[in-house]
Amino acid sequence: MQRIVKAVAICALLAFMAGTSLAADGGNPRKGKHLYKKSCKDCHSADGAGGELTPMSKTQAQWDRFFDKNQHDQQAWEKLSEKDLKDIQQFLYDHAADSPQPQTCG
Amino acid sequence: MKRFVNLGLIALLALPATTLATTPEEAALQQLQQQIEKLSAELEALSKKVEASKGTGEQPTAAAQPTPDEFKELEKRLDKVERHATLDRIEFSGDLRGRVHSLHYQDVTFNPGVQVDFDRFGADAMSGAFGSPADPNSPLAQMMAANPGLASMFANGQLQGIGPFPFLAMPKTYNINNDILYNSRLRLNMKAKVWDNVKFSGRLNMYKNWGDSTGVKVFDSWNSFTMDGTSSSSTSGDGLHVDRAYFDWSNIGGSGVYLSIGRRPSTYGPPTEFRENEMRGGTPTGNVMNLNFDGITIGRSLEDWTGIEGMVARFCYGQGFESEWGNGELFNNLEKLKDTHFAGFNFDLYNDGSNFLQATIFTAQDINDGFKGLIAFPTEYGAFFAPTLYNDMQKFPNFNFVTRVQPSTTIGDMNLAGLVFSREEENGLKWFTSAGWTQLRPNGKAGMFGGMGSDAIFQAQLNSTGTEIMMVPVSADDDKNRNGYGVYVGMQVPAPMGKFGLEYNYGSKYWTPFTQGQDDPVDSKLATRGHVGEAYYIVEINPRMFLKMSGIYYDYEYSGSGSPVGKPKKIDDIEKGNAYSMLPVIDTAYDLNASLTVQF
Repeated sequence: MQRIVKAVAICALLAFMAGTSLAADGGNPRKGKHLYKKSCKDCHSADGAGGELTPMSKTQAQWDRFFDKNQHDQQAWEKLSEKDLKDIQQFLYDHAADSPQPQTCG
Repeated sequence: MKRFVNLGLIALLALPATTLATTPEEAALQQLQQQIEKLSAELEALSKKVEASKGTGEQPTAAAQPTPDEFKELEKRLDKVERHATLDRIEFSGDLRGRVHSLHYQDVTFNPGVQVDFDRFGADAMSGAFGSPADPNSPLAQMMAANPGLASMFANGQLQGIGPFPFLAMPKTYNINNDILYNSRLRLNMKAKVWDNVKFSGRLNMYKNWGDSTGVKVFDSWNSFTMDGTSSSSTSGDGLHVDRAYFDWSNIGGSGVYLSIGRRPSTYGPPTEFRENEMRGGTPTGNVMNLNFDGITIGRSLEDWTGIEGMVARFCYGQGFESEWGNGELFNNLEKLKDTHFAGFNFDLYNDGSNFLQATIFTAQDINDGFKGLIAFPTEYGAFFAPTLYNDMQKFPNFNFVTRVQPSTTIGDMNLAGLVFSREEENGLKWFTSAGWTQLRPNGKAGMFGGMGSDAIFQAQLNSTGTEIMMVPVSADDDKNRNGYGVYVGMQVPAPMGKFGLEYNYGSKYWTPFTQGQDDPVDSKLATRGHVGEAYYIVEINPRMFLKMSGIYYDYEYSGSGSPVGKPKKIDDIEKGNAYSMLPVIDTAYDLNASLTVQF
């Protein structure tokens, strides 16, 4: 029993000592989802001018690159603040093609 | 040993410091990306020069232009990547979890016994059906010789009506301390796009104890039974099991309806994903269904009709037992078994990413007194039911023969329902509450371990050669419908480096959910007829690695958790010798565990 307590304590200590890192950080994905629906879906639906686009359309790295390089038509982004864009980026990143997905059928 | 364990843990935990490896394909893509970016920059510079040279008469230099050879090389390499991407039809991902447990059981009690129809036995004995007691070779005389105490009580008229026949003189109560139990779980997820609206999903699963690849355990509880519904959640050796494999055919004919067939994503459903530290792991409510099965789902999102975000309705059907294929003796001559079918509805009533409300209701028809599966036969049962066999088994005390078992009779139907609500607050607090209801509907029949929520009544009968008296289950002692309920609540709060979680669940006397697929080694905690508390701390080492330290405490009130077979009895009564259970019962237990999970 004593050995187990020691082992768990070592695990905890080492884990706390280990560094953490987050790939996309700082945005609010819930606000991002709302903004995405409000600002992006009009153009990026199946019949929209911008073509259908969902978070699953790109990988996490691709979404980061897309936003970091401002690859979107700037006119459409004029109404959005930097914070808004960060939130949208976070939402898209969190639900990207290579992000963990809910495991359900359908 | 202590030093070795410590060094091992240090080595194990040093790994998170390293970054994730990059595959050759990703490296090639990155290189190509860089080259494309470089060429884009060069083209942009060139364009600017051309623009600037307009009107000046200067000719732009050709130095910045990519050469035809460079384009050719790029095209060649891009073709290679494209070809690989096209032929690589299955996307794999997965996770590997290493876990160490310290398991401690208090007051484990073994007090086996059965209900016997003594009046019938007396009548048969008096009629001479079992031979003359004066003939030492008669079945009756042999039985009396083997059980002198019982013979004396019977002769004195102390055994009448239907009463208990204990196999032991008094209950055996003991504690078990398994200081260290290691196990590993490997899950390989597969995805493939079949067509625009058709996709395949699958998961291969290995779950093993360290140092054990037999795949079969001694039958000391229903949890030890290696069967179809728990083949990937019970430690079952180093083989890969198909945990789930199904296709989704979506938006059929533009109707929005989808059809899904195969081994279902019916484990780790909401709200169990919080303690698993992953996204929703399955479709149905985890408080009532956490079991592998094969079946069909037809569903449709109702969001466009109702305007309610995330609303989905599903009809699910499945088969939990096949009675007429590979069963019985030659040519299926055991006629008492039926196929077990499930059918029901599952509704995601609301799902906006922060709030989730779900209801599940289903029925299971023609449940049998067990499943097909493999067990290592417990030697003790030989002493109770097969003395001839036991005579030889005693000579091999450390040998357990492995045998395939199957149920003996259909014992009734069940209805189940569950409701779950979970919410993630703005500040990162997550909480959930879930309630479940189960109803046992016995048909009055019973096998060796009992009927549905009832005990078996045994009768003394002669074997086929008329040389030995056997105890045979003939009916259940009760056929009343029994309702059970369970509640499950929990919360998870952000904590330094990760999350801290608390959970509690309670199950009533007849609470019988289908959650045997939970992979906790003591038992499915959500199937417990009693109280369970859990506290855990999850340390997010990086986005794809986490360490979880957990303590789970089980306090059982009634026997038979996780099984519809047998009458639940108070654990206290079994400990005192006032009630019997054919399988050992646990009073309390705790499981201290730590796990490191890597997702890839």
